[in-house]
Amino acid sequence: MNSFASRFIASSAENEIRQAKAMAEEEGLTDAMWGSDAGFGSLVTGHAFNVPAVPDPSAFLRLHTDDHADPNCKIKIQHGTTTLAFRYKGGVIVAVDSRATAGSYIASGTVKKVIEINPYLLGTMAGGAADCQYWETYLGIQCRLHELRNKERISVSAASKYLSNLVYSYKGMGLSMGTMICGWDKTGPAVFYVDSDGTRLKGDLFSVGSGSTFAYGVLDQGYSWDMSDEEAQELGRRSIYAAGHRDAFSGNTINLYHVQEDGWKFIGNYDVTKMHYEGPGPDVPGAPVGGYGYDVRTHGRFSVLPTAVPA
Amino acid sequence: MGMPPTPYTPDPRRSQAWIPFNTRSEQPIVTGTSVLALTYKDGIMLAGDNLASYGSLACSAPRLSVTIPSYTIFGASGNMSDFQYLQHDLDNLIIQEEVTAQDGHQLGPKQIHKYLSQVFYARRSKMDSLWKSVLGGGFKDGKRFLLFVDLLSVTYTVLTLATCYGVYIAQPLLRKAFEGSEVRKIKEDWLHVLFYRDPRSTNQYQITTISAAGPTISPSLKLETEWSFAESIRGYGPQTQ
Amino acid sequence: MPNMSAIVHPQQRHFNPYAENGGTILAIAGADFTVIAGDTRQSEGYSIQTRYAPKVFRLTDRAVLAVNGFAADGNMFVKKVKQRLEWYKHAHAKDMPLRAIARLIQTMLYAQRFFPYYVYNILGGIEEDGSGAVYSFDPVGSYEREACRAAGAAQSLVQPFLDNQIYFKNQTAAPGRSHPSHLPLPDVLSIVVDSFTSATERHIEVGDGLEIYIVLAKGRSLQGVEGLHGLRELSTQEDGERVFVLQRDLKKD
Repeated sequence: MNSFASRFIASSAENEIRQAKAMAEEEGLTDAMWGSDAGFGSLVTGHAFNVPAVPDPSAFLRLHTDDHADPNCKIKIQHGTTTLAFRYKGGVIVAVDSRATAGSYIASGTVKKVIEINPYLLGTMAGGAADCQYWETYLGIQCRLHELRNKERISVSAASKYLSNLVYSYKGMGLSMGTMICGWDKTGPAVFYVDSDGTRLKGDLFSVGSGSTFAYGVLDQGYSWDMSDEEAQELGRRSIYAAGHRDAFSGNTINLYHVQEDGWKFIGNYDVTKMHYEGPGPDVPGAPVGGYGYDVRTHGRFSVLPTAVPA
Repeated sequence: MGMPPTPYTPDPRRSQAWIPFNTRSEQPIVTGTSVLALTYKDGIMLAGDNLASYGSLACSAPRLSVTIPSYTIFGASGNMSDFQYLQHDLDNLIIQEEVTAQDGHQLGPKQIHKYLSQVFYARRSKMDSLWKSVLGGGFKDGKRFLLFVDLLSVTYTVLTLATCYGVYIAQPLLRKAFEGSEVRKIKEDWLHVLFYRDPRSTNQYQITTISAAGPTISPSLKLETEWSFAESIRGYGPQTQ
Repeated sequence: MPNMSAIVHPQQRHFNPYAENGGTILAIAGADFTVIAGDTRQSEGYSIQTRYAPKVFRLTDRAVLAVNGFAADGNMFVKKVKQRLEWYKHAHAKDMPLRAIARLIQTMLYAQRFFPYYVYNILGGIEEDGSGAVYSFDPVGSYEREACRAAGAAQSLVQPFLDNQIYFKNQTAAPGRSHPSHLPLPDVLSIVVDSFTSATERHIEVGDGLEIYIVLAKGRSLQGVEGLHGLRELSTQEDGERVFVLQRDLKKD
């Protein structure tokens, strides 16, 4: 604009402050950032993300970050997972694995795929790790604001719808998440499936991720509404084990959570290999004595029929 | 801030996705080839030929520059228009610092290096790169400093530097010989090598130096060349035997 | 069958705003200290651009950040993190705690979700409870607290070694004994040096120099760092957490 004139105005300090403010606004930095609102502060006022100046930003993103389309792409976003959640009379069981893969490299075996949104709400992580972590943290902020405004906790339905509407507004931009929002509200235990396409489903039983087919196999076979808490926990653990065993992109350890009327509880972390050979322990109802592995269970037994004695 | 909390209604259309993008900076147009730089005992020396190429069309243009009084010299290969834009931009920066601020501080080579890297980074982030590599040298407060910035804003400092063809042909020789006494002679040898092998180079060149005594820039000089050796070269083009 | 996705989404520009500049970083947390290290080579393709380009930076007296990937993005990101930490210090009259820096880095990375920084970050330092901590990030901000992490070009060479030496993966303790949960500082330092000398032997993008940052918890004795050759202290205060840097040579071929 009038940069030539402004360059020679009397007070250069004043001019520099004005320039700094203009630059800050351009970058979406507001006065809130001087305090402790961190990056989320600017989101509240509707800050937009920086997007590359190209005709098709999502194609740009895919070009540089999608390792399925191009294994040589530079930016490898972590993928691959098995997660599950189901509703039964005693609450909600949430079980997940802990493996993160970048191409064929196991980037981490200790990922926390259950996101503790608040003491009553859990979210699971499948797809882009950062998308799930970031937006479910953001959802936690909005749930707390809902509590403060309405003097009561948000329902699982409303929380999941908030997330679903949010990701829907970014549809086609390249977000990748498949999540289950689990909790206990006035209606009892609740599970909602939400993904980055904008799908939102209410249901009793879901499994998401590359190993979900294996988990579903065990889950569908063993599920009933009237299970005991121990049986339900065992079913979740056993299902993730099955996926960890058969899906190359899942494994390492199992994280198990149980949601009841007074909020969620962390049950435990179980090594998949240890489950294969030793199992969860001797006194778990429904669990085999010893390991889950079929080779462990059938060790020393023969499936071959004894040859018929010739007459 | 006293604003009431408003529910977040994201709108991707409000993002910068739909700012008009351009296709100008997809590739360089009029280009300059190698620039060589080297640290010697008194300061920094830069050399480059005077050729601007528009494909295979040649014209003469200086590719080295001195920014006074910032104790900095620089040269560039890549898009010539971006080089001229940068010369202009640095001139403006220095006017701003000298005339407006008048705070007794002067931009040294390190400040110029940082400034250039920020300008380059901003442009690459707008997908509108300055399609070039800049080599520069400086001498301030008794210290010499050699700088490099490229179109992606990758920056570094080392003792000897080259761009384009020079990376492969001159840089190994440069590393071997640096800090020698006959720097100007060494430079000329490398320019010879480059001229013989780089089809987009010429034998007219300039040398610029900076030292405690300040910057100097030579007039356009001419390399005396000897092509009789070409007779004996085999293995290229039609001369396969 | 032709690749349909390539037809629907043609490669859109000639200009690629990213480069890969090689190098490797790692961090290991101890009980009351953290070690963060990186090599100093910067390369592009098969050319070594410089033998000294730092990848590890002191943020505060108790936080050190290592960045790896695209050098221009890395330098810009560190610059912006430092700026935010300075603003925080002016607003609150104290340094930002480590776990808050980790969350800040997440939000700063995620702000570029649609035009990511091509940077792998590892943050190391001391938590408010005095324990050593390492946070590792992916380029768009997902993060996790860990005991050790390697990233960059030689990640796949170094991480399995750390899994074995730090987490004792696939090692069985001697009968009647157990693996220690944290190693002493001298052991960690020799594991770091061995990781880098070995990575230098087998990876072309690693070498030239090694910079090792050591962060000690408040009140911890200097045991384990005393007498180290070429040790330099970077802390601004005597009575808080303390930061040291150590430089070592790596092979230059």
